[in-house]
Amino acid sequence: MAYLLIVDDDEDFASTAATVLRKDGHDVQIELDTDDAAQSMESKPPDLLILDVMFPEDASAGFELARFMRHKSEKLKNVPILMLTAINVKFPLGFGPHDIDDHWLPVTDFLEKPVDFDVLKRKVANLLHGDSTAD
Amino acid sequence: MVSHEGIQAAVYELPLSKERPEDFQIKGSKGPLPESLLVQNILWFCRFRWLVIATLVSYGTLGLFPGLTGYFRIRPPGAWPFITALVLTLSNLAFLLFARTKHSPARTMLNLWSQIVGDLVVLTVVVYFVGSLETNIAFAYLFHIVLSCVFFSRRQSLIVTVMAIGMFATCITAEYVLKLLPSMSIFAHTSHEQDSSQVLAILTLDFFLAIGIWLVVWHLASHLSSMVRQRDFELAETNRRLMAAQEERSRHMLATTHQLKAPFAAIYSNAQLLLQGYCGNIPDEALRVIQRITARCRRLTAEIQEMLQLANLSSTSQESLPRTKIVSTELLLWCMSQVDPVARERGVVFKTDIRPVAMIGTEDHFKMLFVNLLSNAVIYSHMNGQVQVSCRRGPNSEPIVTIVDNGIGIPAHKLSHIFEEHYRTKEAVQHNKESSGLGLAIVKHVAEMYSIRIRVESRLGFGTRFELTFPSSRESSGSNREGETKWLIS
Repeated sequence: MAYLLIVDDDEDFASTAATVLRKDGHDVQIELDTDDAAQSMESKPPDLLILDVMFPEDASAGFELARFMRHKSEKLKNVPILMLTAINVKFPLGFGPHDIDDHWLPVTDFLEKPVDFDVLKRKVANLLHGDSTAD
Repeated sequence: MVSHEGIQAAVYELPLSKERPEDFQIKGSKGPLPESLLVQNILWFCRFRWLVIATLVSYGTLGLFPGLTGYFRIRPPGAWPFITALVLTLSNLAFLLFARTKHSPARTMLNLWSQIVGDLVVLTVVVYFVGSLETNIAFAYLFHIVLSCVFFSRRQSLIVTVMAIGMFATCITAEYVLKLLPSMSIFAHTSHEQDSSQVLAILTLDFFLAIGIWLVVWHLASHLSSMVRQRDFELAETNRRLMAAQEERSRHMLATTHQLKAPFAAIYSNAQLLLQGYCGNIPDEALRVIQRITARCRRLTAEIQEMLQLANLSSTSQESLPRTKIVSTELLLWCMSQVDPVARERGVVFKTDIRPVAMIGTEDHFKMLFVNLLSNAVIYSHMNGQVQVSCRRGPNSEPIVTIVDNGIGIPAHKLSHIFEEHYRTKEAVQHNKESSGLGLAIVKHVAEMYSIRIRVESRLGFGTRFELTFPSSRESSGSNREGETKWLIS
């Protein structure tokens, strides 16, 4: 069992994902904005962060939180990050795994919304076992 | 608003959108050219000056041969062509050195003005020696006047014109009115020695005529130059606005993607919870409804994605994306891997003969192109069918990619419509309801961007063959075989 934190402003999506992951035996917490998420993680770092990109007040708040964790927080810099995005990961409009970069996009893996729960569960299992490349 | 002691009310006033100053275009059009362009022109002036220097040296050399000067009936010029050529050479080297060092707007303008003043002084010397009124040499001032109209503001070009007139007038006054300088001409004999009063009247007329022509030329050239420059600034401004609009559009599209896809993601997630039994048992009838909701969510998400891809491809900014060398084997294998899950579902197998060929383009665009063609080939194949993918070099070493399926095919009279947005044949709809009809429109856009020729051959009920010929290829020609239909786009 692992402690997972889902950070997504879409409560509907976050709660369904949490339901699925709790059924898998994980302890899942939901935060609806990145500031609260940063505070929550400072007090209790998760084993895995599932993070959305766009938030109502800042379209790139997800990136900012990821950069903060990797570059400014000693406590959180090694927490694996699974980035969820409603933006296409395959073609030029958005970004994808090839854009993962230590400075610009310091995340561990991507998952495109809408999420297939079987894929989500597989990705979470892989990331918890330290495998960031497996699908 | 209820006031509370000790709590300062926060005030915010929505600022009006920044308006462009009304006189922006006029101000811009009257200004000189941008600095980078001025620096380029400084170098161009210097190159041109070498030609003048060469002409002066040639003329001076000619004067060293009395036979030649006698033949052309000109006076031996003496040393002045060499001295002016030397002065011009030294000043030209100084200008070049000055222009190639780190420049600032002030230094650039100083360089240009130094060149103009220096050139006018040297030209006046040349005009004097060649014959200020006896020859047409004075019209050489027009070069400076016209060029200053092109490169400077109207006021600055007028200053140059007045300087030219002033120097020419000084030369004439010193030569003919005050007689401070002896009258000079390159010709051995001049007519005014015979009837000085009549000639003086003609020379006076010539003088004022020359100045009048210069002023008219200045007026016309500076006016035209102002108009051209105004148009230039208008175009630059329009371009800036288009770029801003394009940027805004991209941001808007990104936000739209998120706004449209996020609710579907939530609906899809909830439907999955029900389907996968996280909320307890559900009657079969209800399950079928949920399955339809899930399928519809997937389809809508895919459609949104395709619409965005198409809109994105239509934007001009896409043409400026970096183009790289792409190897056909890697590209096609990646595209097939994207389509593989659907192929496996349908029992469709790929048969490949892909030779490594380099293509130049934006990788994502080519991926869009081939993923759409391959997924069509798989989707419109019959169950357990076969899709052949080949890549080879054509007769001119151009890459040719062929994708052949043995699927449902396309009726002959519908082939010309298949690249239209949202067009789907009745046969395609019956075979697969999950398509948006945008896949081939995306293919068409990419083909147009890269001048890729696409030949489609199809036999209804037997399959379709897409042949893509990349640029530098000769247009292949061939007659239709009986029972087959071909369609070509380029």
